[in-house]
Amino acid sequence: MESCVNTEKDIDKFEIKFDLFKKQHEHNLDILINDVVQLKNVLSNSQDTFCVDETMKAISGLCKKARASAIKVSSLHKDLHSSVSKIGKTIDRNFDSNCGRVNVSEILIDDSSHKLLNTAMCEHFYRYGYNTVAESLIMEAQLEVDPTWKHTFIEINKIISSLQNKNVDLALSWAMDRREKLIKEKSQLEFKLHRLKFLSIINNGKEFQDEAVAYSRNFQSFALEHSLEVQKLMGCLIYMHQGLANSPYSDLFSEELWNEARRTFAYDACRIMGLSVHSPLMSSFTAGCQALPTLLAIRCVIEQRQTSGVLTNNDELPIDIDLDNSQHYHSVFACPILKNQTTDKNPPVKLVCGHVISRDALTKLVSGSKVKCPYCPVEQSPSDAKQVYF
Amino acid sequence: MSTYSGMDLRAQEYGTLKVPYEMLNKRFRLAQKTLDREVHNLTGCFKEVEERCSTAATANPGEVVLMLNGVIEKLKSAKRKASDAIGAEESSSKLCKLRVQHLKLHASPTPNVVTDWKETRFYRMVVDHLLHCGFYDTALKLASYRNITELVNADVFITARNVEQSLENKQLELCLAWCHDNRSRLRKLKSNLEFTLHLQQFIELVRCNDLLGAVKHARKYFSTAESSQFEEVKQAMGLLVFNSTTHLSPYKELMSESRWKFIKEQFRYENYRLHQLGELSIFKVTLQAGLSGLKTHQCYDKTSKSLECPVCSPIFNKLAEPLPFAHCAQSRIVCCITGDLMNENNHPMMLPNGYVYGEKGLHKLARDGVVVCPRSSKEFNLSSAQKLYVM
Repeated sequence: MESCVNTEKDIDKFEIKFDLFKKQHEHNLDILINDVVQLKNVLSNSQDTFCVDETMKAISGLCKKARASAIKVSSLHKDLHSSVSKIGKTIDRNFDSNCGRVNVSEILIDDSSHKLLNTAMCEHFYRYGYNTVAESLIMEAQLEVDPTWKHTFIEINKIISSLQNKNVDLALSWAMDRREKLIKEKSQLEFKLHRLKFLSIINNGKEFQDEAVAYSRNFQSFALEHSLEVQKLMGCLIYMHQGLANSPYSDLFSEELWNEARRTFAYDACRIMGLSVHSPLMSSFTAGCQALPTLLAIRCVIEQRQTSGVLTNNDELPIDIDLDNSQHYHSVFACPILKNQTTDKNPPVKLVCGHVISRDALTKLVSGSKVKCPYCPVEQSPSDAKQVYF
Repeated sequence: MSTYSGMDLRAQEYGTLKVPYEMLNKRFRLAQKTLDREVHNLTGCFKEVEERCSTAATANPGEVVLMLNGVIEKLKSAKRKASDAIGAEESSSKLCKLRVQHLKLHASPTPNVVTDWKETRFYRMVVDHLLHCGFYDTALKLASYRNITELVNADVFITARNVEQSLENKQLELCLAWCHDNRSRLRKLKSNLEFTLHLQQFIELVRCNDLLGAVKHARKYFSTAESSQFEEVKQAMGLLVFNSTTHLSPYKELMSESRWKFIKEQFRYENYRLHQLGELSIFKVTLQAGLSGLKTHQCYDKTSKSLECPVCSPIFNKLAEPLPFAHCAQSRIVCCITGDLMNENNHPMMLPNGYVYGEKGLHKLARDGVVVCPRSSKEFNLSSAQKLYVM
């Protein structure tokens, strides 16, 4: 933040000086023009009393004035130069001009990897509904795109925008078509959509009472699992005549239910189609924004100490990257004793007391036929340790 | 969290601010030149008036009035030209200010503002990357969709695009004009581009068998060549001897079509340097860092793929292959039922078959005190789960 504040300060300083200059420049020029116009008017109005000497004096006076004024303006502008270059120097000091030096290996090494990244970008655009942008990219990058996920995203986006317009039908027919898959994923989508439809029928007014009751038959299959919810919905029928705004069920008609339905739909649709809920491009970029400063800092340290072997000899990054909690997708177990990651050959094992270490560490701790947990006084025999699967 | 300290701004936003600054610099110098020129003109103009008035013969009021009218016109035109140049300066300075103010939003206390800012940043970087790749239409469409046209350096690339297209059509004029416009900066950067263009003109003249024209051209442009370029001049002159279908190196390379691609790339490179743009798009650099930070051995193990992990998805799985793995000194275990971290708020619990899940996840799946292990499909009592302690 300091970087921005410093830069802004210098820009402001320049702006102040510049405004001053601009005003002066206009003012000077206007005065000059006025003077000349005046002289001209005087001359044209008093043609009979024309005196060469006087005119000459007036004109040469004007000339001197004009020259001085113009030179002054030009040098005023020159003075601005230092403020301008100061801005540039502040930017150079506060921002890194070469963040590319952080990377040890490149990912965009050849045409095929460029194609992969372009395809990823295209997928991202379709995912978020930027269809024209995606098509433009396909044309410019000459991509061949698998039509299945393209159509999937287009369909999902269409349904989401219909939900935004408070229209449940498209979503409902989609959910009913995929009922079995949704049940397998333990999704509550179909119930939520039926609920919204029921509520919107009720909202239309008391004349739709019969329709509402008829529609409630749809809740049969959900009645067991969502018994409380269904009871609430049926309770709404009582208040249809008085109006539901003052009933105890008024919160069922808020925006929140629609937002929840949209979120559930997006989540479940992605899960069924085998897609991730968030765009992988965006997730990787977000992770990168947190990784980049750390990597740059470590690169600085490495360059200073001239131990560049650390970077090239390992197939691991030299430092931990602190990622947001939402970006830990895999379990990573680092043995607290040996400080290395567990692998298939060296899996994590649980001691009788519940503490978990790696098998290699267990082997190292064995003395005789017993092993003592390094964290608590419990003793056991090595064979009591059980392999765990995260 | 490191983001609040602004370190990522430091790493990524150099181009965002430096490019409009360079534009301001350029317009400042242009304005200075304009002002100096107007000073010169006006001084000359007034001097002329003085001289003409001093000769008695032409000293009559009508003439003087005419001359003064001329002076007024010149003054007005000077004012206009200066105003244009100064106005251009002002708009550049305003753009710099706009961008800095946008960057400051990064540290806003309102979480919604910060989330929006991060999303805008993503799209800013994507547009910048698209421009770097040469996908100008896509970039501009996206920029206008997201309303970020003022925050991205599209202008630099658009002027470049026109020149690049002309080079693809084997026409050198636009590129030469560009070099002329930016001559002083290119000289400071010790750029070879103009020489390369003149060389190509020479080659084209030889290709059409206009040998005399080629020699004249050489005399005009190569006589001022610097010592580092002598080798190429010598080769070029040697080209006069051979015709365009020669198989001898280096003359074959000089006559080949791929030189046009080389010129286009050199132009692109010089354009970046001129505007202080990096050759790499920040987006690519960031993406690489992110993929590396996310890459785990499980991403390449068929049995432990995660749907949400970007590196597990097919495209990034392939892309991330040459990258180093993430380093993990601290254990972080994730419950595969809920996707949440397992810690003191969500204790890791081991079922009798050795599979571990979070306490919250198990309670979610449990029906009547019985839970079905999602990975082995075996049933267990919830009470048989043992708490684990992961240090």
